[in-house]
Amino acid sequence: MRRSLNSRWYFLFVFPLFFIFTTVVLVPFCLGIGYSFVTWDGLPLNPKTITGINNYISLINDERFLSSAIHTLKFTLLTIITINILALIFALFVTGNINTRVRNAARTMLFMPYLIGGLILGYIWKFILGDAFKSIGETTGLTSVFFNWLLDPDFAVLAMVVVTTWQMAGYVMIIYITGIQTIPEEVIEAAEVDGAGFWIKLFKIKFPLIMQSFTVCLFLTMSNCFKIFDVNLSLTGGGPYNSSEMFALNIYNEIFSLNNYGYGQAKALFFFIAVACFTLAQVVFTKKREVEMQ
Amino acid sequence: MKLGKLFITGLVAAQLLVGCSAASDTGNATSESSGGDVAKKIVVFQSKVEIIDQLEAAAKSYQDETAVEVEVHGTSGDDYFQRLKSELANNQGPTIFSLSPGAEITQLSNYLADLSDLSFAGDIADGMATEVDGKIVGVPYTVEGFGIVYNKNLIDPSAITDYDSFVKMLKDFKDSNLYGFGLSQESYFLIGHILNHPFAVMSDMEGYMEKLAKGEVKMAETPEFQEFAKFYEAIRDNSYNPLEVNYDKECGDFATGKTASIHQGNWSYSMFADYDVDFEMGLMPFPISGNDKLAVSVPTVWSINNQVSESEIKAGKDFLTWLYTSETGKRYVTEEFGFIPVVKGMESTSLDPLSAEVSRYAAEGKTLPWATNLYPAGVVDVHLVPVAQKFFTTDMTAEAFLLELDEAWAVATAS
Repeated sequence: MRRSLNSRWYFLFVFPLFFIFTTVVLVPFCLGIGYSFVTWDGLPLNPKTITGINNYISLINDERFLSSAIHTLKFTLLTIITINILALIFALFVTGNINTRVRNAARTMLFMPYLIGGLILGYIWKFILGDAFKSIGETTGLTSVFFNWLLDPDFAVLAMVVVTTWQMAGYVMIIYITGIQTIPEEVIEAAEVDGAGFWIKLFKIKFPLIMQSFTVCLFLTMSNCFKIFDVNLSLTGGGPYNSSEMFALNIYNEIFSLNNYGYGQAKALFFFIAVACFTLAQVVFTKKREVEMQ
Repeated sequence: MKLGKLFITGLVAAQLLVGCSAASDTGNATSESSGGDVAKKIVVFQSKVEIIDQLEAAAKSYQDETAVEVEVHGTSGDDYFQRLKSELANNQGPTIFSLSPGAEITQLSNYLADLSDLSFAGDIADGMATEVDGKIVGVPYTVEGFGIVYNKNLIDPSAITDYDSFVKMLKDFKDSNLYGFGLSQESYFLIGHILNHPFAVMSDMEGYMEKLAKGEVKMAETPEFQEFAKFYEAIRDNSYNPLEVNYDKECGDFATGKTASIHQGNWSYSMFADYDVDFEMGLMPFPISGNDKLAVSVPTVWSINNQVSESEIKAGKDFLTWLYTSETGKRYVTEEFGFIPVVKGMESTSLDPLSAEVSRYAAEGKTLPWATNLYPAGVVDVHLVPVAQKFFTTDMTAEAFLLELDEAWAVATAS
């Protein structure tokens, strides 16, 4: 009796989400695999031609797709580093010995950017890094730093890194904060009694104990950066000359601008496998380093 | 027992949620059950941002006269066709929508209702209606023309007739710290429209474009394009960087006299309404190969979705008929939308200066076709813009520019 009641409760809570997950994720995903073997423009009344693995073959020769892969890798690597370092610094700062008011204000302000949607954020920063930087450069003469970042192929990618970091760091900070707060006081105290300074405490005590947070944060930042789309679309639009075109934007262009629905699906599937491999590898790698408090 | 009840309540609530979202999806189909031949509500989705407010006003007048509700959906512009396609693919398409003649019509031809039986179908000016297999599927909005929009105080159009005089004009303005000619960063204003000219001045434009698609000719080896690249180079060297200027700023700088001329069409006139423009403006041909004609064609057409119910199709046709034949409808089209009439029985007395120029050139037969309508789908946004961006941010030569254009065109036609 008790058992069946429990499972009913379980069913009640899981069913809605399961239903949504199936209809909006699982089913479209499986359909997508099928579409990747046809040539089709996405309109139900227009003909689909089955072309087998042709879509995947042209993928290998698609220079633009491959260069977007390189941009994505470059961007992801840079962004993971900057986001996590900044988030850790923020987290250590707001959990350190500071006035409660300052702490709460800092937390709120650091988290705030995450609440702004990526598209809007892109447009705001487009103005800052484009027009504002240009006029700052013109008035101060510091044109080596202050110029229109969005018109330089390298700096456009860097602009993406800056904006994504600004957006995500506050969110990741929250996860690190919870991690740091679970470290028992007495462990830290014991270390202090043994004469450990700030750095020793950080690397030998705190980092090993918040390894679980690292796993989560690295996973989140990595998968988010791989899939970046909104900021890419609104900030650089892939420009100048495709130098900041990431995976997701490339797929979007293929499907919606060039009407190659099947080929776009093939790209998307390849993209899925790549992201899955990278993130799984990362999770396995950091999981090994987690330590259990006994 | 209590828990069991709660469980069922929860399930019902969940289903209600699902039910609600399903119901709202079919919003525009509610009209079907309301009986009669003609639906009580239609949805219009269209891409021309300049007429959104005016079209809504027209829809209101129509509702007052006929009790048929017309819901107007707008968009910011660039994503219009993508949104339309996904709505059509999900069977939630609007009743009436707008399309550009050419690639868009071809792609959606299975979705277009036959409009040949519209009462004014025979009155549409020759060659202006869009036809597929002999059936009319698109009713033209208007004709539009583009070329160089110039400030009459600063530029004498009779002095700019070829490449040399164009460059001289650019340099003269540069010396006096003004810009002679400007583009802007939006895909069509950056390269889509201006690239029309080398195609359009050819005697056999369509033939050339077919050969180009097959790779039998190269832009790099075609004199018209070689000259175009020189024009483009002169613009880069003697004017502002268009990648830093958007449509608003381009028009604003022109309206305040900082730029003497811009590459635009008569549609841009509404952009100057926010400024106290203290000069007269005109529209003149882009002087490539001594060209003295404006590029004039139908930018957009109304089409009706054949996937909606018969009664809704009928209601859609009624609305279009009202718009083009009734006194109120005609007033909206000519006066409020500012359209140049393309249907017999419509006359406009209040064309803005730029539209008047288009109308004059059209009447004199000095028009060029729009190659833009024959471009491969998506080529401007995805393939041409990157080349133009590279051209305007590096020291790329005119020759290299043409080679890259050729390459981009080849990739676009192959896919």
